[in-house]
Amino acid sequence: MLVQDIMTQQVVAIDPDMPIGDVYALMQQRDIRHFPIVEDTSAGASTLVGIVSDRDIRLVGSALPQAPEGVKLADPVRKLMSSPVITTHPSDAVEESASLLRRKKIGAMPVLDEGELVGIVSAIDFLEALVRMTGVHRAASRLEVELTSDPSALAELSAAVASQGITILSVLSSQDDPASGTLVVSLRVTTIDIGKLARHLRSQSFNVIWPPEPPQTVGHTLASNAEHA
Amino acid sequence: MSSIKFVYDASLAEYELSDSHPFKPVRLELTRTLLRELGLLEDRHIEAVKPLEPGLLRHVHDGDYVNAVKAVSQGRQVDGQLRYGLGTSDNPIFPNMHRAIKQVCAATVTAMDLVASGKVQRALSLAGGLHHAHAAQASGFCLYNDLAVGIEHVTRKYGLRVAYVDIDAHHGDGVQGLFYDRGDVLTFSIHESGRYLFPGTGNTFELGKGDGRGCSVNMPLEPFTEDDSYLTCLRDVLPKALDVFKPDMILLQAGADMHRRDPLADLALTVQGMAASYQFISELADDVCEGRLVATGGGGYDPFHAVPRAWAALWAVLSRQDLSENLPASWLEDWHARSPHPLPKQLSDNINQWQAISQRDTINKHNAAVVRRLLTTLDPIWEEQAQERNNPSSAVS
Repeated sequence: MLVQDIMTQQVVAIDPDMPIGDVYALMQQRDIRHFPIVEDTSAGASTLVGIVSDRDIRLVGSALPQAPEGVKLADPVRKLMSSPVITTHPSDAVEESASLLRRKKIGAMPVLDEGELVGIVSAIDFLEALVRMTGVHRAASRLEVELTSDPSALAELSAAVASQGITILSVLSSQDDPASGTLVVSLRVTTIDIGKLARHLRSQSFNVIWPPEPPQTVGHTLASNAEHA
Repeated sequence: MSSIKFVYDASLAEYELSDSHPFKPVRLELTRTLLRELGLLEDRHIEAVKPLEPGLLRHVHDGDYVNAVKAVSQGRQVDGQLRYGLGTSDNPIFPNMHRAIKQVCAATVTAMDLVASGKVQRALSLAGGLHHAHAAQASGFCLYNDLAVGIEHVTRKYGLRVAYVDIDAHHGDGVQGLFYDRGDVLTFSIHESGRYLFPGTGNTFELGKGDGRGCSVNMPLEPFTEDDSYLTCLRDVLPKALDVFKPDMILLQAGADMHRRDPLADLALTVQGMAASYQFISELADDVCEGRLVATGGGGYDPFHAVPRAWAALWAVLSRQDLSENLPASWLEDWHARSPHPLPKQLSDNINQWQAISQRDTINKHNAAVVRRLLTTLDPIWEEQAQERNNPSSAVS
């Protein structure tokens, strides 16, 4: 997944001479928290010169010590904007950009392609991407399996799921115990009958964590009716 | 004239996805014969299925999708049929499936029309309840969405406000999605959390949009939730939702897969707990919409042991008859040979037969937190709606 897949393309850029108060009004109106600021160059193109957030603006005129000195709401946003701007590229990987955002503790990054502003990507976009990666946007059940460190373990699991005519929508993993090298994978799979898939996988000696084995009743197991009915 | 009808036709059993499929129409016959032998279901209760009015299906389902279902029903291959969810492990292709599912839709529409037109107060369409079907996709054993077709019918023909109450263990995603922006249809779903369970949706923050904001209500409960916590959650939210929405009728999707023995979901109710939920919803219908209530089936994958008892209790509640604790010996005799395990002799489950749920306290606390979170969000929305209704001129936009 790349930045271009998750960024907002209809980016609202503003002029450095726009009064700060007007910029804030536009933020409210558009429900946007970050504006890139671009300036026309003599060659007829435009260049990214800064970025401003709603947090920057709210400190203007504040009594707090962090308030920018001598800046008023009527001043051009040029006086307040952050510059130079931390930017990203449309073909950067989502995880690289997300970690840059986190390291710099910023809320959004303009996306530049050969110097041209083509989009903006915010922390919310990264969260949205995370949610999509989990596959919850399509009807599916969750399956959790602990895999051994055997190189073919994941391939065998996916083959076993496929053999049941079931599609895998997403795969997430976490390594709970680095020493043993076991990997817990969490799949979203397109079936409502996850119990049947789990029984099949257990019969193939996979360590299925979810769904759990059905509880026992006196006399017979609860799962037995699904097998025979 | 009796004021309740049991919509029935032998052809409804043709919606059988394959002979090894967990969705088993035999549960309809088990329930019907149980009710007959209990003396609760008489000829005067039976209502034949009226054919579906042409065009009604298309108010819910895309023409391309319906055409694809028709084609694969006749054994033809359709480009991209998997995109429509056809021919998957959950929704295999079977001969004449279009005709079979259309009949299920017709049964639910028949039931809803009987009640909406005022001919009867209550009706049951046990073959219906296929709440996962989307406008252009089969999903979770559901080809067409009979519930949505029924709702479209009564909202269009009679202009009624319908409260859809879904107590199936799985989230009613199809119905919710089809009416997500409608202010005249409330979709309420109480289900096992989608964190693990299919379809994965049904979170508390799914509230509807546009005119339908506040008209989608979801209560995701923890796996292994038992009777007490389930009923408490239902009592804490549903009456208020109905009080604000003011429905003309209630459509209850009474899937029976919240039972402890159900192999496809992880809730842990008893038949008597399920019966208590039917009774509670029936009384709410008496309070808010003069008793007008249509119920359908839905999930329920323990077809011999749990489902017939639960649905017999459902019919008893709807028809306001008492149900005896002992199941008829003749019924047990008739069915025991086909059942893969011993049939119960009593209506109620004996909870001591089951392993105790070890995390009970944690589960109950978690469910209570879900209710609190939901009400924190919904209360202000509902308050605003109530104000608008009482004083339309000063409505907050």
